[in-house]
Order: sequence, then C-alpha cells, then structure tokens
Amino acid sequence: MMKLERKISAYLGLLGLIILGFACGQQEEKTEVKKATAVLEAEEADGKYPYKRLSTYGFFEGEITDLAAGENVVLYKPASSLFTDYAWKSRFVYFPEGEVAQINNEEEIDFPEGSVIIKNFYYPVDFRDPEKGKRIIETRLMINGEEGWEAWPYIWNDEQTDAVLKVVGGSTEVSFTNAAGEEQLIDYIVPNKNQCKSCHNKSEIMAPIGVKVKHLNNELDYGSQTKNQLAFWSEQGYLNGFKGLEAHPAMINYETESLPLDDRAMAYLDINCSHCHSAEGPASTSGLFLTHDQKDPMKLGINKTPVAAGNGAGSFTFDIYPGHGDESIMTHRMNSTEVGVAMPEIGRTTIHKEGVQLIRDWINSMESE
Amino acid sequence: MKKFLSLTLLLSGLILVGCSTSSDEQTFDSSQLNRASVEEVEKIVEAFIMAEDGDVIEIPAGFYSFNTQLIIDNKTDITITGQGMEETVLSFRELKAGGEGIKLVGNNITIENLTVEDAPGDGVKAQHTDGMTFRKINVTWTNGDKSKNGTYAIYPVQCKNVMIDGVIASHSRDAGIYVGQSENIIVKNSLAFGNVAGIEIENCDNSEVFDNVARDNAAGILVFNLPGLPKADGKGTKIYNNEIIENNHENFATALSDEPNGNTVTMIPPGSGVVLLAAKEVEIFNNNILRNKTTGVAIASYQITGFPSEAPNWSPYTTDIYVHDNTYERTMDFPDLTRELGQLISVYNAHGKAKTQDIVYDGIFNPDLGADITSNPMRVCITEAGMEEMHFTLFDLSEGEDNIQASPDYTPFQNCQVTVNTQVESLASM
Repeated sequence: MMKLERKISAYLGLLGLIILGFACGQQEEKTEVKKATAVLEAEEADGKYPYKRLSTYGFFEGEITDLAAGENVVLYKPASSLFTDYAWKSRFVYFPEGEVAQINNEEEIDFPEGSVIIKNFYYPVDFRDPEKGKRIIETRLMINGEEGWEAWPYIWNDEQTDAVLKVVGGSTEVSFTNAAGEEQLIDYIVPNKNQCKSCHNKSEIMAPIGVKVKHLNNELDYGSQTKNQLAFWSEQGYLNGFKGLEAHPAMINYETESLPLDDRAMAYLDINCSHCHSAEGPASTSGLFLTHDQKDPMKLGINKTPVAAGNGAGSFTFDIYPGHGDESIMTHRMNSTEVGVAMPEIGRTTIHKEGVQLIRDWINSMESE
Repeated sequence: MKKFLSLTLLLSGLILVGCSTSSDEQTFDSSQLNRASVEEVEKIVEAFIMAEDGDVIEIPAGFYSFNTQLIIDNKTDITITGQGMEETVLSFRELKAGGEGIKLVGNNITIENLTVEDAPGDGVKAQHTDGMTFRKINVTWTNGDKSKNGTYAIYPVQCKNVMIDGVIASHSRDAGIYVGQSENIIVKNSLAFGNVAGIEIENCDNSEVFDNVARDNAAGILVFNLPGLPKADGKGTKIYNNEIIENNHENFATALSDEPNGNTVTMIPPGSGVVLLAAKEVEIFNNNILRNKTTGVAIASYQITGFPSEAPNWSPYTTDIYVHDNTYERTMDFPDLTRELGQLISVYNAHGKAKTQDIVYDGIFNPDLGADITSNPMRVCITEAGMEEMHFTLFDLSEGEDNIQASPDYTPFQNCQVTVNTQVESLASM
C-alpha cells in the first residue's frame, strides 16, 4: 500500500511539475498581454470616480508628462513643503466647471463637490539641471465626493505614458543626482490608500493639508505672471471670500534663511508634523501638538517626557531638551530611518538633513536650564 | 530620584548573582505554516482598504508577510477573523513604513482568531473606536534580540468600550496589553509574558482586569496616569483574580547598557508584581501575587520619577487605593538593582537589605490634605491576611536622598476601605 501510494504521489508530483511549468509559462505570457492592454485600453470619462487611469481625468494638456494644467485646473504651492524623500512635487486643483470655492472664517477653504486635488511626485534625473528630464513616480488625488474627501494613489508606468490606480500602494527604487552632484538611490514607497489618512486626518475625517488659506496666502510664479495665489484664484473665478493678503493668516517658507529661526522652525514643524500632532490629528495621543501657533511649552515638547514612543525615545528623556539639539527625542526621530523610530511615520525613507539641522539649531538656540 | 550610587557600589557584588531572567518563549512555531502568495497577501490589503460597514474580513490559514499596513479607516461593524492563532499569522517583519502593523478606527470592530508578528512599532492599534473587541489574538515578536521588538502588542487608545478577551501578548518592549486614554475597559482571560510590562492601564476610566495571567514580564500589571495628555487623568480600576507570577524579566525597554530614558516604563524595576503610579481609585483583590523578586505591589506617586510633575487637570499623587485579600509569596532572589527604584527598595526597605517586599508605599502625599502620612491623607487602604508576617515598607523620602527613612508600620493603612466604581456593565454584550 505504502509503496503504491508513494508511486502514485510521485507520478502526480511529476505531472504537477509539468503542469506547473506549463501553467507558469502561459501565465507569464498572459500577464504581459494584460499589462499591455491595461495601458492601451481606453477608459470612458463617465464621471464615476475614481477612474482606473490618471489620463482619463484629462487634467493635463499636451504631453501628460509635462504636467501642464488643463482646463479648470490651477497650479498651487504651499509656503512650506512637506518633506517626501527629496521628491519634487507639482500640485494642482481641479474645479468642476462653473463651481467656486469659498473661504470660511478667514482660514479654511471650502471646496465644491467634485473638486480634485492633484499632487504629482517626481525626480529630475539631475537636480542641478531639471531640463535633463525627470521620472514621475506617483500622482495622488484627493477627490471631494458626495461623502467628503477621499484619496486615491496612482502609480506611473515605466514608459511614463500614464499612471494606474493602485489602492495597495507599492514601492520602487529611484536614482537621481542631488543638488550637491551626489548620486542618490532611494527606496521610494507609495502609501496604500488608507495610509493617506495617517496624515490627512482631522478627527477621523479625511482632510486636505496644503490647500489652506495660511499656506496659499503668498506669491506664486505662474509663468505668465507672479501673483498671490488666492488673488489669482479669485481673479480666475475659482474662489470667493479673499480679502487680501493682510486680512488672512500667512505662513512663511522655512527655507528662507533671512527669516527668524523660531519662525522657520515652527513653519517646518507645522507643515511636516502638525497634521498628526494636533488636537484633531491621530497623534493627539502623545500630547505633543506642533502647530505653528503653539505657545504652550509642554505641548511643544519642551521638557516633556514621551508617552508611547517606545524605541523612538532612543536614550533621551525629553522631546525637546532646551539647548541640546542632539539630545532631544524630536531630532532623534527625525534623524532616523528605522521603522518604529522614524518620524513622520510614513512618507519618507531618507533623512531630511536640512530639516534636522534647522530643528537642531532651533533647540540649541533655546536657553538651557 | 537621584542615584543611590554609593549603595549601589556597596551592593555591586549582588548584581552579579541577582540577575534578571530573559524569555524567548514562543507559543507556537509559525514557520511551519504555508506562505501566502503575493496575490493572497494583496487581497487581504485590499479587503482592509475597500472595507465597507458590516464587512467580515475572513483571513484563511497561512503565513502572510506584509510590506504595508493594514488599516480600517473609520468603518462600523467590522469583523476581522482568522482561522485561529496557530493557523492565521500576519507578519509585519517586512513593513517599510508606518507606526503599527494593523490600525483600526471606527465603531464596533472585532479582531479575532489570528496572530500578529514582528511589527516594527506597535502590533495592533485601535484609535477613536467605540466598541473595540480583541478576542483570541496572539501578538508577539520573534526576534532573538529583543531590543528590536516593538512598543505595544495590543494598543487601544482614545477608545470607548474596549473588550480584550483571551489574548496572548508577549515580548513587547513596553507593555504587552496597553490600554491608554480610554473609557470602559475589560481585560480578561488573557496571558502576557516576556514583555517589559504585562498589562498596563494608562489615563483610563472604568477598567476591570481579571482572570489573567501576567508572568515573566519585568512588571506584571501597571496602572499609570501620565501628565500632559488630552485625557488628562484617569480613575476607577479593579484588578482581581489574576495570576501575577515571577515577573522577574530584565527590563529591556532600553538597551541593557543604557540608562532609562524618558519613557516611564524604562524606570520600572524588574521583579515588580503590580505598580501604581499617579493612580486614582484602584482596587486590587483576590490575586495571586507570587515570587516577584522586588515587590508584590508598589504604590507610588509620579514625583518619584524625578520628571516634571505639573500638568493641567492632573495630579501626580496616587490616591484612593484598596489592596485586600491577595495571596503573596516572596522569593529568596535578590531584588532588582538595575533601576533606581529597585535600588531604593533593595537598600532602604524596612525588613533588611536585599529582601523581597510584598507591598511598598513611597509615602509621598499632598501636604494640603494632611500634615502627616500616618493620618493616611491619600486614602491608601490595605487589608491582607497575616499582615504581620508580610514585608510591608512605608518610605519617607521627604528629607531627600541623603536621609531616606523606611518603616514597617502598616497600621495607618488598616481598618479602612475604598469603594471603587468601574461601571463596565455596558461591556456585558461584547
């Protein structure tokens, strides 16, 4: 009995191998075909978001890789940028035909249903000469639908002809030459759809980050002219309620070295940390609140012990230890790429050296006890 | 606390013989399971992402290796169910970004019958969830080197109505089962071992912890209130019918060569059964508190950490404590000397150097409430059988570290009771 069984199973095993080998070959072929069709197959712009392909939306005019604003699409840029592994970004808002956004309470922008925030992440081949070409990695859309904002990640194909919706995210190696002329290799991570909410989260409701009055109340070069972004939107008929620069809050660019160190540090923390580290954000658990207007030393982390930092605390006692930039948990976590230690928790696999230096300088400038 | 350095030197010989244990015990070997294919793994990620209210996400048997987080984003009536702890294993060893392996947000969410391994940060985190059930899940780390392990295994925070039933949590670098800033909590029928802290209730209201086993951790069960948090303080915890045994594991919350850092748990001395820190309204009864080498129960105020102890709507004092009808067994092992609080107990206790204690009380009190600790201003009540045979120490730290006093006199804390209300009836149906 035993022998026979073994023989049969050996036979079946062999058969299995043959089938497997055969099936594999066939499947591979299939996958390739499928991939090709996925790129070629046209998708109808039927208004039922999300589309599978980025091109279906028709946001861009001309060559899609030029990322040039099409009809009802307007460029924007927040005063300070969130660090994302040194990726360059181009950002747009799409307004549905004839619809207008409204400023509320001088600070918030209410976007009409059907608005789409478009954020492209790309790397110039050579940061010193962007004309040499670029590789677009991903485009994230936030669509203001019937039930509020929802985020959808699109990953660009190798041919750079289109990007395809991929809710599970992904990762890819990126190489480029940085501003200092050094060759860089990065393990770039595209977040999965629900990870978007790790940052875009106000009391568990999905919320935009960059398109707030305070981030856009500044001048932007549109090519044909340079103008206050909110004034430009108003002039184009996309926005109501803008009363001029002075009537609304305005953030600074933390990169502007001529500005006071305190202000630059707070601007950096605001755009990089406060979406989580605020009373309405997911990191409210920590009691560390890093909005630009934070005045309470304990909430800012000064001589504050951590709560659930675990390995993130390193060998340090306080989030900010005044006068000791290198002995503060804040810089320690910014200066790490280890998952579980690194802050922010998602969105980077490299260290933002300039950011760490700014926060280190700022903490060093605080009077130690 | 400043260092008790001179005495540490005197007793440094003891360190050599009084070492803590370390555990790498695994409940079962997940490497024997079939590995799920890339497609099967992606299907689970998608099921979480596309989940709609009322969904049951069933995860077949197998070993799933994820390189991205599993997140339920603000959904209602969701059940995530595996085929059993030893059948469905979700590994986050390859996770590239994210603070936890699994994150759950919404209402009425249940996760059950599976194992979570090797998340770089926390294992399973639930936040802003009303009605959160963890049932028969096993959350652990399989690294030989425990310094690589994550922070919390099971981590509900800012939740309401939390049921933790029949779980196993092991090898966390902080607490195995950690409930933070939540209301209405039951932790029962669960096992916590090999963690720095077994079970921790922090800044919570209305908690019951019963029928659990907390063994081989550095500390068994903790009730803390930390300053500066959105939920500023917490009160109402009952700890009963638990086995709190041999929590003599080394404290690996920081590397062994490193000093404690700002995480309070790094200061906890190995060999602690139950630790109360700035706790309010806690009843500890009918537990077996056995062979914890430093102390069975520690009652302490936050000032003992030496950290700033001012915060709005929060008090650093431990108040309204009722310890009664527990069973204690001391060990012949030396109490901890690796942490300052261990040194305090080892050196200054009222029963002789290097003697294990059953109950210690730091004696720190609010002078506005009484002139003297003997008037029991913080309402600490202790009613144990055979008190005269027990090692009870009341410290007096008011004169500073150069003049630490200790007394074995437990009588100020006898003949009183504290009524603790926990109001967890709403959890009966969970």
